[in-house]
Amino acid sequence: MGCSSSLPADRNSGRLGALNSEVSGSNDAKNLRVKLVLLGDSGVGKSCIVLRFVRGQFDPTSKVTIGASFLSQTIALQDSTTVKFEIWDTAGQERYAALAPLYYRGAAVAVVVYDITSSESFDKAQYWVKELQKHGSPNMVMTLVGNKADLLEKREVSVEDGMEYAEKNGMFFIETSAKTADNINQLFEEIAKRLPRPTPS
Amino acid sequence: MAATSCSPSTAVSFYDFLDRMRNPASIDLVRSIKSFIVSFSFYAPNPENDGKRVQEFYLAMENSIRDHQLWSGASEEEIDYSMEGLEKYVMTKLFSRTFACTAEDSKIDREIAEKISLLQTFLKPEHLDIPAILRNEASWLLAEKELGKMNAYKAPREKLLCIINCCQVINNLLLNASISDNHTIAGADDFLPVLIYVTIKANPPQLHSNLMFIQLYRRQAKLISEEAYYFTNLASTKTFIIDLHAKSLSIDEIEFEKNMQMARLANKVIDEDYNMRDGMMRQKVIAPDTGMNLKGRSKSGSSYPFMDVEASDLTVGDVEMLLKLYKDMVNKYTDMCASYRHLSSSKSELVHLKGNNTSSNQPAETSARLDRA
Repeated sequence: MGCSSSLPADRNSGRLGALNSEVSGSNDAKNLRVKLVLLGDSGVGKSCIVLRFVRGQFDPTSKVTIGASFLSQTIALQDSTTVKFEIWDTAGQERYAALAPLYYRGAAVAVVVYDITSSESFDKAQYWVKELQKHGSPNMVMTLVGNKADLLEKREVSVEDGMEYAEKNGMFFIETSAKTADNINQLFEEIAKRLPRPTPS
Repeated sequence: MAATSCSPSTAVSFYDFLDRMRNPASIDLVRSIKSFIVSFSFYAPNPENDGKRVQEFYLAMENSIRDHQLWSGASEEEIDYSMEGLEKYVMTKLFSRTFACTAEDSKIDREIAEKISLLQTFLKPEHLDIPAILRNEASWLLAEKELGKMNAYKAPREKLLCIINCCQVINNLLLNASISDNHTIAGADDFLPVLIYVTIKANPPQLHSNLMFIQLYRRQAKLISEEAYYFTNLASTKTFIIDLHAKSLSIDEIEFEKNMQMARLANKVIDEDYNMRDGMMRQKVIAPDTGMNLKGRSKSGSSYPFMDVEASDLTVGDVEMLLKLYKDMVNKYTDMCASYRHLSSSKSELVHLKGNNTSSNQPAETSARLDRA
């Protein structure tokens, strides 16, 4: 693998992080460190989405961490700020559902993923949204993602249903295909735009 | 990756820290550290409070170090190394006062270890639906070893490192599987079950207390990001094991209960055997012994009082005791053989604990004894 995580950024943020370790990272106004948690049924392609995102960035200066279930990637935004996403994958199998709060605690972003070819996974996504609304941090940026958008002929969940549900719950909605890389970067760019910025002090 | 924290420079940094502390210029820092450590002997252990005090002390010391002449012009990295040295020094000194320091923690540790020892007797990868391609004994063994080392360290950072190393081994297993065998990478869906399985196989001593210790005493600025992720995975593994019941696994509920019952009986007989060192002879029947988790028994201790005796020393009065011991021994031996056979036989041949035995003699015999036990 040979990928090493960026450390200068970590070190600078270290002191501040210690003061508000319960809050999702984040530091100075220019360089955000963001904890993002992925939720969704097993098999909806959560990890494929992030792998696409992390591997798809070809900026040679960007530092990435690629683990099987933890990944980090920094993106630069147009306003010359950077956002380092620390992506926490969670096990989607039913038997681990009760463990999720340990993972989403302190997350700034939650990405709830379903598979557009499985209405069951859409039901599960709605379960996660409710759970996050009840127990998650109120400032969390929540996103609903319908993955496997390339499998149109097998679609079970319409775009309208996804969009309507997301709108009702104040979430950003997007359909992606980890296979074709469709909308993958857009997903993370949109999340970055929606992050609350620390007020410069 | 997280391996940054296991750079070989750590040992160097610790000695560098000690060197600076020996410098007369650091006398004020040395005093602060010593009086902080001593202050702990004034209070009864209170994990939450102790953790908070230590974390505040780290921050205060970091500020002192930044402003200190010995560190003037030091890079962030050097200051970080010194802080690692400080953490190790302080927590090694406070270890016995802060590690597993409440009865409650020790109780949880014992309960987890006991539950794991029961699960170990029958749990298989398929019960957690671990894909065949990830069943790699060599990798798992390596991961177990890393986890098993955790309890041997006193510094929070070193304990955390054992978790991270264990997780990295699993990580590599998953990544290799995805490259070489075209196994679609399933991230945490694959990672967590393997970690749970490895943890059960390893049964790391004092799991709960080690996790608590890291959470409370690892510098908070360092328990973030990837380190925090792997830490959280082991913490959720612990929770999963504590709450584990038949429905948590892909296993028939009756079979699960039977297996747990068998393992409990086996543990019980070992405990009883262990307690016999008090010299108390029991008339009780012996439940089968699986031969696992033997806690060690005395060779010549009071449970077998005739081991060191010559024939000429015996009196007629000893016959009753000798016969009792002989029967006890034979029972134990047959039980052990029987239960060993059951444990290694297929599921369909499991002992029927409730006595509705159908098959061969041995299971019937054992189950009758189990009923009485």
